Amino acid sequence: MNMGHNGQKVGAALVIGGGIGGIQSALDLADSGFKVYLLEKGPSIGGVMAQLDKTFPTNDCSMCILAPKLVSVARHPNITIITNAEIKKLSGEAGNFVATVRKEPRYIDEDKCTGCGLCMQNCPVRQIAYLDKEEEKIELDSEDRIKIEEILREYQTKKGNLMPVLQRINATYNYLPADLLRYIASELDIPLSQVYNIATFYNAFSLVPKGRHTIAICRGTACHVRGSLRIQERIEQKLGISDGGTTEDLRFTIQTVRCIGCCSIAPAVRVDEDTYGNVKTNQVFDILRKYK
Amino acid sequence: MKEIQTSKLLDDIKKAGLATLYPEDRIRITVGMATCGLATGADVAYKYLCEKVKNSDYRISVVPVGCIGFCQREPLVEILIPKLPRIAFANVNKDKIKKIFENLSENRISSISADWRYDEDDFIIFNKKRELCNGALPDEIKSVKLYNEIPFFKKQLKIALRNCGYINPEDIGEYIARGGYYSLCKALTEMSPKEVIKEIKKSSLRGRGGAGFPTGTKWEICRNVKGDVKYLICNADEGDPGAYMDRSILEGDPHSVIEGFLIGAYAIGATEGHIYVRTEYPLAIERFNKAIKKAEEHGLLGENIFGKGFNFKINVSEGAGAFVCGEETSLIASIEGRPPEPTLRPPFPAESGLWGKPTNINNVETWANIPVIIARGGDWFAKIGTEKSKGTKVFSLVGKIENTGLIEVPMGIKLEEILEIGGGIPEGGTFKAIQTGGPSGGCIPQKLINLPVDYEKLAEAGSIMGSGGMIVMDERTCMVDIAKYFLEFLKDESCGKCTSCRDGLHEMYEIVKRITEGRGIDGDIELLENLGNVVQVASMCGLGQTAANPVLSTIKYFREEYEAHIKEKCCPALVCKELISYVINPELCSGCTVCAKNCPNEAITGEAKEIHKINQKKCTKCGICISVCPPKFKAIKIVSPAVT
Repeated sequence: MNMGHNGQKVGAALVIGGGIGGIQSALDLADSGFKVYLLEKGPSIGGVMAQLDKTFPTNDCSMCILAPKLVSVARHPNITIITNAEIKKLSGEAGNFVATVRKEPRYIDEDKCTGCGLCMQNCPVRQIAYLDKEEEKIELDSEDRIKIEEILREYQTKKGNLMPVLQRINATYNYLPADLLRYIASELDIPLSQVYNIATFYNAFSLVPKGRHTIAICRGTACHVRGSLRIQERIEQKLGISDGGTTEDLRFTIQTVRCIGCCSIAPAVRVDEDTYGNVKTNQVFDILRKYK
Repeated sequence: MKEIQTSKLLDDIKKAGLATLYPEDRIRITVGMATCGLATGADVAYKYLCEKVKNSDYRISVVPVGCIGFCQREPLVEILIPKLPRIAFANVNKDKIKKIFENLSENRISSISADWRYDEDDFIIFNKKRELCNGALPDEIKSVKLYNEIPFFKKQLKIALRNCGYINPEDIGEYIARGGYYSLCKALTEMSPKEVIKEIKKSSLRGRGGAGFPTGTKWEICRNVKGDVKYLICNADEGDPGAYMDRSILEGDPHSVIEGFLIGAYAIGATEGHIYVRTEYPLAIERFNKAIKKAEEHGLLGENIFGKGFNFKINVSEGAGAFVCGEETSLIASIEGRPPEPTLRPPFPAESGLWGKPTNINNVETWANIPVIIARGGDWFAKIGTEKSKGTKVFSLVGKIENTGLIEVPMGIKLEEILEIGGGIPEGGTFKAIQTGGPSGGCIPQKLINLPVDYEKLAEAGSIMGSGGMIVMDERTCMVDIAKYFLEFLKDESCGKCTSCRDGLHEMYEIVKRITEGRGIDGDIELLENLGNVVQVASMCGLGQTAANPVLSTIKYFREEYEAHIKEKCCPALVCKELISYVINPELCSGCTVCAKNCPNEAITGEAKEIHKINQKKCTKCGICISVCPPKFKAIKIVSPAVT
């Protein structure tokens, strides 16, 4: 910053770090009339606050505070954001600094990129960046290994094999054990994040062990109109668990499903493979009693 | 197994199939064994029948078939004695079977209480009817009502469901006997791919999955896109709660989908097909896999089909319970193993679909219609239905209706007629609304009962055709509760990609929820309308664009019900828990103690022979007391607003 002829400071300021503190400083400085360079080491600004749900002590939504500021920073005519960059050298004195900045290459035309994320989804070699296979070898016990090898043998070479593999594991173990997910991620050459993305997207998959019997309470429209909510509440009350929960003795898991296609005999409940139609609230225990 | 290469070999199999469909030397007993039948005890009936047959002196074959559609009356058993009409027995149990066998002899059945009979069977592919009876009818059979005298069947015309409930889905011979694979043979040997597309275009068949895009045009676009590999997809991810026609077709007539698939593949030039089935339909997956195997054994799938150098194979992909996967781009993502979030169109799947190749997607019912159109011609098909919506549509008629089940009716039928087929509202209720199109659809009120059902008319009324679920509602159905139900469904199923859908639906749900809990405030309805419009315009895929329909249509037609919830804290339909109370009418209560004994929360007190009382603080409003109170007293009633 140079001293102007009338003693006023003019010129540019460098803010190091693009977290909420850096963002606010940059905005305040820029609004005061300075040209601001906002330097951030990571590929994007936002910092830790962008990863938080709520802020202390007011419990305000973190993103709701941060997001408008992110937009303001990006739009501000007096702020230039330099990401993927680190400061190498700083010399000079107050009012007259020289900063040397090293910017990592991005290999993308930033003027044209809209941040749609499609390149990331479609990059064929992206897993190499994430996973060092030698270090990530997952040890399985022999029984698991035999089961999983058999599943993998069937699908390893097929396109679109992640879904069927997960389905088979889910059918074999009744849930998706975490170490197996890591194992197949490495064997199938799919990023673990993608495996989890799929594993958590679908209702049919569970990441925690399920009971021996799954009570699927149909919550389709026809069942709803005919009172399936009452049945769900009754089962939940009796077993002491709620939707998605498993009893402590691992006997039952309750899982509501979106229509099992038995609308004509609504309300319907399916326990394992058996479907029951026209279920009445006070009948549910006679049904459950059959399953030990 | 001999591969079928000519129509002559097809004729041979047809002959054998007819011999099992209409055996001359034995009695044929069929049991409807789709999921709906199994749930009501068809497997018990089937096992018992087999046992009975083993000990019987007569030659009888027991055959599992699909669902004939009249699910309310299941388990359904039909008996075909040579040279006699086929007779049907509904709601069959062991006692009924015992009685049937007491009266059954080799060539007649006496003193029966059958529910309906068939004098002839319709072979729609061949445009022929087959007379079943030969000679004069015995009196006891004459007294049984004819199939088309039953209100449920009277107005139906079965094209997509032509074989469901008639044939053994695991016997390819019976499918061929009813005209199966003849259309494929015709297409491959007599028609060019362009002629096939022309015929489909002539029929004006529109996609039966919901949006109603013309099938022929879709095929043509995909055919004209350049590409070495093209894919076909059958969308069997029937996510709409309340619709189950696709399940029924896959369980009862899987070969019709395979044949439609093959004809489409020939027309478009595809070599590989995928069918994406919901995991909630295990039986459908099993039967379809078996059907593929049978077709492969007969050379109808694989290489050089009908010796014409045409190759095709089908893969089965299983879903895992996500509603959004019914949307075509997320369905493709799901098959590929990517996160099933919809992507922007264009490019449409016809240009860049599965694995980036041109892909054509149709749903199960659409594929099942194809063989009939090829056999009978597009002009014949176009004669059925209304100006813009041709052919028939399968609806699942469920909810508060006497005869629930699957019906296939010509397009343009009035809602009123559909209700007639359904036999009215049970337990003396009055009709209030009919919900069509699943979570993307809307509620059509009583005053529009004369509405002809086709794509355009339903859209004008604020709903959509959807995959064909029709949920009937009576005065005991709360429309605000229905809106809440759909919003809960949709907010859970939203993939989260678009903010308007992810957050908008969540907010709408919270507002409707507070209305049903009696915490609604002035302006909530307007806020809902506003939000609904934003969700409609700002979302990318069909799920979001139509997600507000249930709310907007219920507000449009049932605004006063919303207002009652907000202003008077009253639920007129007596459904919303926070706004109702169960009370005992002291004038009717006889003190029988039944309700007190059954109450799971000990909320009911009172000595025997004295008037009982419900402790409102303890009552969880589970409704058990009202269901156990003896009908002669009917002493418990629901009131709204809630009392303390």
